[in-house]
Amino acid sequence: MIKYRRILGESERGDNMGDLATKLQEELTCETVFKIGGIGIAESTVITWVIMAVLLLFAILMTRNLKVDHISKRQAAAEFIVVKLNSMVEGMIGKENRKFVPYLITVLLYIGVSNVIGLFGLKPPTKDLNVTAALSIMSIILIEAAGIQKRGVKGWCKNFAEPIAIVAPINVLEIFIRPLSLCMRLFGNVLGAFVIMELIKQLVPVVLPLPFSFYFDIFDGLIQAYVFVFLTSLFIKEA
Amino acid sequence: MSTLIAIGAGIAVLTGIGAGIGIGIATGKATDAVARQPEAEGKITKLLLLGCALAEATAIYGFVIALLCIMFLG
Repeated sequence: MIKYRRILGESERGDNMGDLATKLQEELTCETVFKIGGIGIAESTVITWVIMAVLLLFAILMTRNLKVDHISKRQAAAEFIVVKLNSMVEGMIGKENRKFVPYLITVLLYIGVSNVIGLFGLKPPTKDLNVTAALSIMSIILIEAAGIQKRGVKGWCKNFAEPIAIVAPINVLEIFIRPLSLCMRLFGNVLGAFVIMELIKQLVPVVLPLPFSFYFDIFDGLIQAYVFVFLTSLFIKEA
Repeated sequence: MSTLIAIGAGIAVLTGIGAGIGIGIATGKATDAVARQPEAEGKITKLLLLGCALAEATAIYGFVIALLCIMFLG
């Protein structure tokens, strides 16, 4: 892709199509911000660090001097958030898979925050295909590990031949299709919302972007975070 | 050449029709179900979200293909 970009940059492109192509290309490539010992650190990684720092600070601030009785308002809010998120994810994944709940809540918070971080002028990490690919690979490893843990290696292999042996190839393909569709769904949604917002901003810069921004930046981002976690938990449940 | 690419990208995005019809039907049925059984709203909403996410994926694939068309052929 980077090679292609160089060729594109060298050739003379006066037409609008080429302009749009280069602009999209710029949005798609994750820029390397700086290097540590020859390893390039991408922009999405740095923004992920920012999100991690914000979430960590929030968590530390909310959970300082916790008490059993006479709780402060802050502790009540923290307890409310934790209980709500716990019950929501546990409702999706079922009581028997409770051990996966903390991981799923972490992913939910990360994707949720990174989808709405565009409002603060930062580039959402989920607009980088590598980030969503990493998230979905983590998901599929967790799903298959849960399946092996539940059924044992033999049972897990046998499970591919369910309900009849002839569908085994399709079941094997599913291992690759699931992460691909998880990854592309998140990436496509975030990028699509971004492209549409840019077009609207070019068309009418005042007032009109506001309701669209509310839908595309906030609502769609949170829904996608929910959908990602929901699908992962559904796959874990039936693994 | 770029006209042809634009047409191709437009055709790829036509996958949105299927997703739109699918989500429309799903939402209509969900509304129906909630009207019949308001107490089952939580479960229905969950299923509706799942169905919408799966149906919407086809539209997203079309969008990604259109994007790839513009980027790699444009």
